[in-house]
Amino acid sequence: MKGTSEHGETSKAPLSRGVSKGLSVLDLILRFIAIVGTLASAIAMGTTNETLPFFTQFIRFKAQYSDLPTLTFFVITNSIVCAYLILSLPLSIVHIIRSRAKFSRLLLIFLDAAMLALVTAGASAAAAIVYLAHKGNVKANWLAICQQFDSFCERISGSLIGSFGAMVILILMILLSAIALARR
Amino acid sequence: MSTSEAPAAATVIPIDDAARQHGKAPAVATAPPPPAAAAAATAPRKTGLPFFRRADRGSRCVALVDLVLRVAAFGPTLAAAIATGTSDETLSVFTQFFQFRARFDDFPALLFFMVANAIAAGYLVLSLPFSAAVVLRPQAIGLRHLLLVCDTIIVAMLTAAAAAAAAIVDLAHSGNVRANWVPICMQFHGFCQRTSGAVVASFLAVLVFVFLIILAAFAIRKR
Repeated sequence: MKGTSEHGETSKAPLSRGVSKGLSVLDLILRFIAIVGTLASAIAMGTTNETLPFFTQFIRFKAQYSDLPTLTFFVITNSIVCAYLILSLPLSIVHIIRSRAKFSRLLLIFLDAAMLALVTAGASAAAAIVYLAHKGNVKANWLAICQQFDSFCERISGSLIGSFGAMVILILMILLSAIALARR
Repeated sequence: MSTSEAPAAATVIPIDDAARQHGKAPAVATAPPPPAAAAAATAPRKTGLPFFRRADRGSRCVALVDLVLRVAAFGPTLAAAIATGTSDETLSVFTQFFQFRARFDDFPALLFFMVANAIAAGYLVLSLPFSAAVVLRPQAIGLRHLLLVCDTIIVAMLTAAAAAAAAIVDLAHSGNVRANWVPICMQFHGFCQRTSGAVVASFLAVLVFVFLIILAAFAIRKR
């Protein structure tokens, strides 16, 4: 019985270490995907520029992301989160090599939670404005500007997808780090 | 474990009478020392509460702070949900073009905001017994994990709702010249004040939730 318990312990230790390394590798892969998502969103929103070929004296017919402060906030938050994710790549690589780093995992969870709040705020505020641009609001007398600006609307709608995907990925990364922390 | 030592102190056998009556000196001599030791052990510990066990003290404190933060987050979310839900302002003037009544369900973002705050308030109430169970039993790691997962999901939803409502309220305050959107706060003062206050309260609740997540991660690490 003593021999089998020893054999059980020695066969469990490399397995648990392999699972920890697998979690860290998965964290790194998710980080790359989130970098791509936020970068694509920031660029897609930041390069919006549509000018309609006609004009009147009341309404301007040029649409840019900087016309709406919420979309500017969206570009800024996505850039900040993208920069944070790129800067946290070395920390994630360190976690693959050294699975016993407790304090740095805690720091990573803390910063990931802050960035999750930031990216969720930017993405959902932009989603509210994009919804308003599509549907307008009859009660507040706000016209739906997507009737005129088709490609501007399509682009700002599509750029939300990358940001919301990055939000889901950040949630997964926080949970992965918590599981890896608990496996001490 | 502490309650099992109390009844053992009751069985105190007097050595002299038993030795004279039964003649079993060694067997009886071993009986008094454990009750005496138990009596000596239970004498300095006045209360039977397991709270004062030194090994558990740190994680119990953390779990207690978790409970307090949950109660603290319940107030702002409930207040935001109620304030948004009862926001209804009708102006006393009317024309044939403009609607002069503002309610929260005129804006889908504010409707989502109210629903999300109501869900978060309900979740906080439902998670109070789980958090209390973690205080009483600090080694329940499964409960801590469950609370962490649910907290993360709720904070994401609450942040999304608060940010969307903030975008709409900011638009209502300042309008947008380029898109020809009129700032409606010029007419609807009470509606605007109420929804702005609700958004601020919701962001405070998000801050408390983020503290909760960090605290839960910290507590899981300690175990």
